[in-house]
Amino acid sequence: MAIAVSQTRPVAVKKNRSQFYQSWKRFRKNYFAVGGLVWVAIFFIIGIIGPWIAPYSYTDADFLAMHAPPSAHHIFGTDQVGYDQFTQILYSVRYALEIALGATCVSFIIGIVLGLWAGLAGGIADMLIMRGVDFMFALPSFFFALILSVLLGKGLFPMILAIGVPGWAGYARLIRSLVLSMRNGEMVEAARALGASQTHIAARYMFPNVVGSMVVSLAFGIPADLTAQAGLSIVGMGLNPPMPSFGNMLANASSNILGFPWLLYFPASIFAITLLAFLFVADGLQEAFNPRGGM
Amino acid sequence: MFMLRFFAKRFVAIVFTLAAVIAISYIMMYESPGGFMSTSQVASALAPIAAQNPVLYQKVMEEFQQRYGLNLPLWRQCLQYVWHELTFNFGNSMQNPTQTITSQLKTALPISVILAFSSTALSVVIGIPMGVIAALKRNTWIDYTVTTLSMVGQAIPSFVLAVIFVLIFGVLWQNILPVTGWGTFSDAVLPVISLAAAPIGVVARYMRGSLIETMRQDFIRTAKSKGVKYWPLVLKHGVRNSMTALITVVGPQFAFTVVGTVLVENIFAIPGLGKVIGNAFPNFDFPMAITSVFILGAIMMITNLIVDLFYAWIDPRVKLQ
Repeated sequence: MAIAVSQTRPVAVKKNRSQFYQSWKRFRKNYFAVGGLVWVAIFFIIGIIGPWIAPYSYTDADFLAMHAPPSAHHIFGTDQVGYDQFTQILYSVRYALEIALGATCVSFIIGIVLGLWAGLAGGIADMLIMRGVDFMFALPSFFFALILSVLLGKGLFPMILAIGVPGWAGYARLIRSLVLSMRNGEMVEAARALGASQTHIAARYMFPNVVGSMVVSLAFGIPADLTAQAGLSIVGMGLNPPMPSFGNMLANASSNILGFPWLLYFPASIFAITLLAFLFVADGLQEAFNPRGGM
Repeated sequence: MFMLRFFAKRFVAIVFTLAAVIAISYIMMYESPGGFMSTSQVASALAPIAAQNPVLYQKVMEEFQQRYGLNLPLWRQCLQYVWHELTFNFGNSMQNPTQTITSQLKTALPISVILAFSSTALSVVIGIPMGVIAALKRNTWIDYTVTTLSMVGQAIPSFVLAVIFVLIFGVLWQNILPVTGWGTFSDAVLPVISLAAAPIGVVARYMRGSLIETMRQDFIRTAKSKGVKYWPLVLKHGVRNSMTALITVVGPQFAFTVVGTVLVENIFAIPGLGKVIGNAFPNFDFPMAITSVFILGAIMMITNLIVDLFYAWIDPRVKLQ
């Protein structure tokens, strides 16, 4: 009886030496960045499954256990209204991600449209858009976000707009410069001279060369938006309580610090580590995509 | 002469930018769904009047609208605000109508200015030596420590650092440094450190990269071959030449520090401009909110202008445009 031996013949693995693979290889060597990526992944998972593992609802105030220290019932303790802090943090993660990702998308979409317009049309449109960019850079976008948040109110969607809309200028400038460098680049000219089609040029020459800087700028944008959201809460323009957010928890805890330190341990450390993780990832991406630049 | 023309041009640009900021902020606030009179505190205070004496209530509302010009057409209110702000005639706030905004700012503004400038100064004083040491000890544990620390400083926003300080000095080691209030030197220590952490990181990282680049230059090799000793070589030839563009890093960083000041003041309960903003915006106090944004914006833009002039002055190769 013939025994079927699974013969795994060593197949010559086709070495994937694409630009992305090389970037990934460089990224992998940066332990900080990989560690950051792991934390960011956990953060995302918690953001998705948070409501299912939350022991309470974030509107459930346990009036019999206000200011309770961490215990079996409330593993992170409760605040002055009796909100379970563990639940609050789980929902904070979710809202933080929704707002940060949403705001970054809003900024990026506006930036791409205006940047492409400025770069491709040139002339008066370019001039006007770049004046707009200068205007946005004259003041920190936090102030624009603050003013917009007065107009839009305090919900989840208004927050996304208030943080996202003022952030367009950086992306618009980046996209415009990429368009200009691509349009006048020798590489594209050479490809065109060899008879490459428009789509081929766009897919094989332009896209791989611009995607790196776009990914890097997005990776820096997300932690910046996380920070902006918490900052708005600190000056009282964040999500309306009882909707939890890291900013609300930090603002509330720092004014209630005496006697109730557990209100601060968990949100402060988790928020700080998360921002660090995002930044390590962004920094790693920058090095991976642009090994010569940077310091 | 050229310097003067540059200055005049930039100054006009700053005035126009500020005018646009004021106008846009005013329109946004005016169109916002709430208003000072409908914030919970004011509305609940007025509720009995509204119920018992509707005529008087109507009169109060009209009086309020009259006083803050809310009954005028929007474009006129807008122009009025722009003109009043630009001529430093801020009027009265809504929350504190008996006091002029100017007199309220007189106590609040210096605090924020002290915090912002002293933390920027501290960042330069600490950041430069850190960067130099990291560059000279490149790829040793000292370098890695400095680089990692400066990245951590940059990643954690000043107000989160402030919260962590509150935790450390308010709970774990009490009575070493105060975590709330303002008045003595020790009150300023924690806010300034939490504000300076990010700029220290930026300056150190910049200085490290810049010095490494400078030490590769030909003139360094020439100086070395002429027998210049190590420290004079590093300090006089290296550090001095790598510091020229540092000011272009410190300038934008200053804007972040000002935003940080606003937030950190709210954490440490410091009665500065940030605390004013934290009271004005949630309560729809239009005059106060707009004035505070105007003041902070003006400080930032004028600082940037001075930075540019200074940069052209210390480095003659830089051309002002």
